[in-house]
Amino acid sequence: MKRTDYALSKLFFDLQSGPAAAEYRADRAAVLDRYGLEPEIRAAVLADDVATLAPLVNPYLLRYYCTASGMPEADFLEKIRG
Amino acid sequence: MAKLAGVYAASHAPLIARDWHLFDDPLKAKLTSAYQRLGARLNAARADIIVEIAPDHWSNFFINNLPNVCIGVGATHNGPPEPFLKDFGHTTLAGEPQFAMHLLETALASGFEPSVSHQLALDHGFCIPLWRMELDPLPPIVPIVINSLEPPMPTIARCVAWGNLLASAIASYPVDARIAIVASGGLSHSIGEPTMGAIDETFDAGCIRAFEAGGEPAIIDYLDRALVTAGNGSHEVRNWVTAHAAAGSHGFELIEYLAVPEVYVGCAWAAWNPAA
Repeated sequence: MKRTDYALSKLFFDLQSGPAAAEYRADRAAVLDRYGLEPEIRAAVLADDVATLAPLVNPYLLRYYCTASGMPEADFLEKIRG
Repeated sequence: MAKLAGVYAASHAPLIARDWHLFDDPLKAKLTSAYQRLGARLNAARADIIVEIAPDHWSNFFINNLPNVCIGVGATHNGPPEPFLKDFGHTTLAGEPQFAMHLLETALASGFEPSVSHQLALDHGFCIPLWRMELDPLPPIVPIVINSLEPPMPTIARCVAWGNLLASAIASYPVDARIAIVASGGLSHSIGEPTMGAIDETFDAGCIRAFEAGGEPAIIDYLDRALVTAGNGSHEVRNWVTAHAAAGSHGFELIEYLAVPEVYVGCAWAAWNPAA
């Protein structure tokens, strides 16, 4: 059974809101501090390491996150397709 | 007594709204025509109530509380939360609590345990077909959310059972009302996974053949095998299965199929054949 990371999922879920996404784009670290992510997962988020994050979260939430974080769709497609 | 006024299905995709301005005119014309042809049938059916079956794209539910099936019993529903759907123009949509509660009570009396919501937000999965079909007037909506985004999901066989239950709830509703069913979603698509953007036209053709042929066991068998590799979004075909069974499993008429890479979806529109 796949591993789902709850804190990471919650971060991505919350960033669907426009104001939350704007806050995240302005100061990622401050937002991440509220979610208690495991250190290696936090590092992967900060590095836009989609390949590491993908197995830990629902694919739709992953896509929403990349949009909310300001990642261009073409970049996301390149990262997710490996 | 209530009457089943018709059973229909249409695909949805957020990019049909968000990226519409980027599409060339032939694509706009094809999509517009498909939704309008389906909408003309639904308008002609003169439905007093639409039961719409769609997924929730993380608009109402999260993994801290994720129903497999949820019936919206509210007098109103919130309109789509997505900013790119503001032109739909409905910040709220009318519900139909009396039939919704009858459906809920029929389900509970029949061995089904759905979740219930008195205030759902209807996201693009619900609203794109309603918008693009140009329904006038837009009847009250009884939403049924079937989880097709995050495992574990209801089995295909259970969706057949849900369709039969829905038909039985309409047949037993002691009100003179015409009730139509609209399934939203599918066919193949892959979102946020390594195959993102892939459209599995072989899977889609298999679905269409199975729905056209009618019956239930062959569809269950086909989807239990084929859904494994058809892309995560393809699981929305559960809504079509539910509609198929609610229509009596007599087969459907395909109105249009378009593989649309611009929206990442193998799109289809269909109307089920009425009972013989």
